[in-house]
Amino acid sequence: MKAFYNRYGFMTLLTREIHRFTKVSIQTILAPLLSNILYLAIFGAMLQTREVGIDGVSFLNFLVPGLTTMGALMAAFQNPAFSLIAQKFQSTIQDLNSYPISDVEKSLAFILGGTFRGFLVGILTYTATIPFVGSQISNPILFFFSICVTSFIFASVGLVCGLILDNFEKMNFALAIVITPLSYLGGVFFEVSKLPGILSYIGLINPIYPLVNITRYAYLGIYEGNIWVHGIMALIFLSVAFITSLIIFRKGIGIKTR
Amino acid sequence: MLKIDNVSKTYKKGNKEALKNINLDIGKGEFTALLGQNGAGKTTLINILAGNVQKTKGIVTIGGYDLDNNSLETKRIIGIVPQEVGHDYVFTIEEMLKKQSGYFGIKNNKNYIDDLLEELSLKDKRKVTARELSGGMKRRLLIAKALVHKPKILILDEPTAGVDIELRRSMYGFLNKLHGEGTTIILTTHYIEEAEKLCKRIIVIDDGKIIEDQPKEKLMGLFSENTRIKFEFDYDINSSDIEFLEEYSPIIKENRELQIKVNKSDLSKVLRLVSERGLKFVDINVDKPKLEDIYLKLIRH
Ligand SMILES: Nc1ncnc2c1ncn2[C@@H]1O[C@H](COP(=O)(O)OP(=O)(O)OP(=O)(O)O)[C@@H](O)[C@H]1O
Ligand SMILES: [Mg+2]
Repeated sequence: MKAFYNRYGFMTLLTREIHRFTKVSIQTILAPLLSNILYLAIFGAMLQTREVGIDGVSFLNFLVPGLTTMGALMAAFQNPAFSLIAQKFQSTIQDLNSYPISDVEKSLAFILGGTFRGFLVGILTYTATIPFVGSQISNPILFFFSICVTSFIFASVGLVCGLILDNFEKMNFALAIVITPLSYLGGVFFEVSKLPGILSYIGLINPIYPLVNITRYAYLGIYEGNIWVHGIMALIFLSVAFITSLIIFRKGIGIKTR
Repeated sequence: MLKIDNVSKTYKKGNKEALKNINLDIGKGEFTALLGQNGAGKTTLINILAGNVQKTKGIVTIGGYDLDNNSLETKRIIGIVPQEVGHDYVFTIEEMLKKQSGYFGIKNNKNYIDDLLEELSLKDKRKVTARELSGGMKRRLLIAKALVHKPKILILDEPTAGVDIELRRSMYGFLNKLHGEGTTIILTTHYIEEAEKLCKRIIVIDDGKIIEDQPKEKLMGLFSENTRIKFEFDYDINSSDIEFLEEYSPIIKENRELQIKVNKSDLSKVLRLVSERGLKFVDINVDKPKLEDIYLKLIRH
């Protein structure tokens, strides 16, 4: 079977995945944006004077790339995950089997739809921080690229979760028990090296840690640890997430009955 | 057009053998009914064709394409109206059908979508979401969705469940029209008279096996001795009056009604005899064999 078979069909599916969240943009875009601004306002008010480890950057400046990355990855995860669960809920999930669109194209449509939403939330989060800290970015291209890669990885994870989980409760559970803790321990709000004892090692297997750090490097221009190691880690997470999602889609888990 | 060779299905869950060695060959333009009791395996068979269920064994060829090796090509050929009603509630009917066309690579399908909405009496609902449709309308929308890419084979899994009589009639007209245009149609239904009215070939599936597969006329011919004639009289008749009908197993009911069973070929002979003997009936009722009776006989073995 060909990997790319029906480009217009693929584009239609991708557009649908985007259309689906733009139709309810208050929940999907505005809500995460508001909660991120809230973080910034609260932490900003409380910890204005505190300076963090790396070269005495203000905490707010430190926070911006963290929040941007977290906003992006949450939104990217949720798009394919909730789209698939909703389709299971509406019993339209099997419609996917009736389209003459290849499995690779279908997976990519879901993942890129999620990537787009993640990117959008990331960029808007960054934009919302401008009044607080100004707009300077040390390396804008790397900054936006890093948000894209982060979104792509977590859209792939979201696709996997949407396929293997069968209801909203399980999905919220996965979010609360895995994704949220990983973000908190992934250096969004503080440097991972400042975590006590064993928790500091979680950074080594936490896919969010290198992503946050690369985004932060792109934003601040300064870095904790080795950027190349983190770059390679990000690449590995990207490949694993993407290939896993392709395999699970191809197997028909959650879509076809065996 | 559609060829099913030795297809079996055992569901992983419950280890249920739902289909046992199904063989079927359906030609271009046929209009076939797939009948069978609840749980007989009809939906399982259809879901295999749709790619929703993975078969355990066997080969399926759709329009010359192998289902396992060329599954994407088969999708352009079939359109499936599923038994379970489900719709997207985010998009309006029109958006939904436009997207549905897009999945099949069709760019501008507005005219055909309009035709479909007209045929299925959904035109005035085009701007609302499926949430605002009644049950019967939702089912008709499933048909529209299955047809946007003009499939050569249309498979309908109980399309008329919950659709009111008038709309059901108009749906029959529509199906006949599609059949007339050369579409191959397979229809599953529990309304047997629907199959009798529409279909040319009857397949009965029972406990995962095909137990009957005949042209409708032939199947009904097999049971033609069943023709029952009822005469009504405005005076009492007694058994001596009707001795000459002995061989047609006559029954007198409430003194004024006579029932006999006649083979089609004897029909005119019997009527002539009745009038020659001076039996003056006021009403006559010919009960032709119904597919329903035949069907019930078949599934009760
Ligand atoms: N997903 C499934 N997992 C396990 N068993 C199943 C599954 N779907 C159907 N079955 C079983 O397979 C058998 C055939 O079911 P199927 O849905 O094909 O029947 P049907 O002929 O369509 O019946 P109906 O007229 O009620 O729609 C039944 O015994 C059913 O319980
Ligand atoms: Mg069924």
